[in-house]
Amino acid sequence: MNKLAGVDWSHLVCKSPGFMVHPGMPPGWVVFILLSLFVIIVAAWRNSLLSVQQGPAGRYFAFPAPISKWLTRRVISPWLLVVLRLITASIFLLVIVAGLFGNPIPERNLATELTWTLWWTGLIIAIIFSGSAWCAICPWDAIATWLVRRRLWQRSPETASLNMRVPKILRSVWPALLMFIGLTWLELGFGVTRSPYATAVLALVIVVLTTVSLAMYERKAFCRYFCSVGRTIGFYSELSPVALRPVDSQVCADCKTLECYHGSENIEPCPTHLVMGRITQNTYCTSCGACSQSCPSQNINWQWRHVGSEAIQTARPHWDEGWFILGLVALTSFHGITMLPIWEKWIRHFAEQINDSGQLLWSFSVGMGVILLFPILIFMLLVKINQRLNFRELEFKRLFSSLAIATLPLAFTYHIAHNLTHLFRESRGMLSVFANPLGIGRLPLSSAEMHLRHVQPLIPQNLIYALQAGLIVFGFWLATRILAFRLQGLVERTQRPRFAIQWPILVFITLMSLLNLWLLMQPMMMRMK
Amino acid sequence: MCKGLGLKSKDKKSYRVMFCIIFLCYLPSASAHHVLGRPAYSLNEESNTPPSKQVETQVGKYAITYMAFPAFPKANETGRVNLYASRIDNGHVFRGKVTFKVRDDSWFASNEETLGVQQIDDGVYRQGFVFKATGDYIITAEFESDGEPYIIDFPLRIGKPFPIGPLGLSVAAISLILIVVNIIQRRRMQRLQAQRHHAKPQDSQ
Repeated sequence: MNKLAGVDWSHLVCKSPGFMVHPGMPPGWVVFILLSLFVIIVAAWRNSLLSVQQGPAGRYFAFPAPISKWLTRRVISPWLLVVLRLITASIFLLVIVAGLFGNPIPERNLATELTWTLWWTGLIIAIIFSGSAWCAICPWDAIATWLVRRRLWQRSPETASLNMRVPKILRSVWPALLMFIGLTWLELGFGVTRSPYATAVLALVIVVLTTVSLAMYERKAFCRYFCSVGRTIGFYSELSPVALRPVDSQVCADCKTLECYHGSENIEPCPTHLVMGRITQNTYCTSCGACSQSCPSQNINWQWRHVGSEAIQTARPHWDEGWFILGLVALTSFHGITMLPIWEKWIRHFAEQINDSGQLLWSFSVGMGVILLFPILIFMLLVKINQRLNFRELEFKRLFSSLAIATLPLAFTYHIAHNLTHLFRESRGMLSVFANPLGIGRLPLSSAEMHLRHVQPLIPQNLIYALQAGLIVFGFWLATRILAFRLQGLVERTQRPRFAIQWPILVFITLMSLLNLWLLMQPMMMRMK
Repeated sequence: MCKGLGLKSKDKKSYRVMFCIIFLCYLPSASAHHVLGRPAYSLNEESNTPPSKQVETQVGKYAITYMAFPAFPKANETGRVNLYASRIDNGHVFRGKVTFKVRDDSWFASNEETLGVQQIDDGVYRQGFVFKATGDYIITAEFESDGEPYIIDFPLRIGKPFPIGPLGLSVAAISLILIVVNIIQRRRMQRLQAQRHHAKPQDSQ
């Protein structure tokens, strides 16, 4: 199995332990990926990527007329959104009830199955097709808004909240990044995914935080600064082919009233302080549609664009946003590492060294810190080398932020590739959980059920591998393309050859892609043990 | 019928009493007897209290029953867990050693202690305990059968549980913040109205 063209690479694959694991990617697909990466690197070497002409910045295309008309009607009417919010909020409340009062077996309870197997994995995949649309129907925000503003959708009086400004120190994505690291720690270290009760408590805590934030600060500070899920969606949706954007940019350029920013008599202002005529990146757009509803010219609608065009041309990430992107790169790979059979062995060995016992939370935390910092430090080192060699006059922070966005496709595509395994291999049996959300009277998964889920994914196994392989190659290609365009603007500043300024970050992109490929080759532990 | 037999009413009464006595004598003895007012089926060996928790579960090839005594275990009082393990296929009782461990079932708690290693005694594995502090704990029973490890976690509450759960805490926190915001905003409005009221006469002058 592991012998191809006479080369034995079994030593590259971790040995499977006694319990159930998902099989890793077979060698045939690995060879395909490696060859594809090689071709892309050669193309970059020959500067063919750099010779690609930049198109007009921020170019968007309207959907075909019937779809566009339908979308306009839906986008300017609040009722579709209200109905969807009521549905998601009802399901969310059911998740809390199931988590607190239902069966503690995670595979039999709606709280864990829906939250971690369906929602958290499917959400990232959905970004490809719907951008940041989830934020518009997010139940945390919906419940908090109804509680604080006491309106189903219309603009509430100013007195509903204290409308304080968020302290300057918090006005960045640092809080969201820290929240995301905390969420990952709870998910993988504390094991919240294995406990319906803890899942429900976590959901409640986030509702409380959202409500407190909404009651204290102006607009929707939680969505903009603190929500790790929203910001992850926001960054990934920069690569999505759909987004809410002005239909005619000239209408926005001529607009003096800025209803999208200030709101109208009945419609709330933009919850994240965006002016649609000047929007260059989707990072903070929650797709709530307030801008569409308030615009007197009905000039804001869902539009499509080339995949990754925003990240290539118009996005201008700041220092904190650059860190968030690299955090995503590190966290997604870390997710994969913790599901390797060898990870537990490492952590147990480390725990013995530091005399840790019980849930080994100290050992996990140290391991997590090291693994998260490692790729970020390597990236910083390579940016520093690039600065020393090629861009002495450029500030390090600017170069770091500008180049960090080139790594975003690596995080996005690996995240989806990893989630495909969870979604298609672990969500069998979801219907029985919906039929009995609290899992009343259900016993743990029998060996036969586990085996069935193991051998019968929802889609053919080879299709999963093909999608994963395609994603890794596409992520690498898009990353090199973004890098090439990002450096194009800097080429004139230096006399160095193009590849000389490209190679340090190309090395990082290649290393991370190889790491992600290696992770996909490994057998992955099932969530159900 | 009695009338037809020609019996007097006094005789009727005495016949009825005799019938009742004979009926009661022929009744089979009750299958459930009571100790201290509790039905016997909720009790177990040597215990005069029902278990605080009884869990039945299926792990691998074994059906496991776990009981914790007394009914409401408290800190600094002795208690006991009983573990029954029998094979699902043939009902044979597991005979070997079971290791009982305990850990704090709270966030950020990582210390685990071994309570003891127990041999089977009359079909039961018994493990005594004394907890110094109230709280939620996880008792872990570990044994090995056919070369496979079996690890079973059971929750145990020592002392009275916290009266408000996460749902109550969340509702309380949200209510509190909404009330506080409402009060602050009302005061702001009153202050603004007062300022406007004072400002008007000056403007007119």
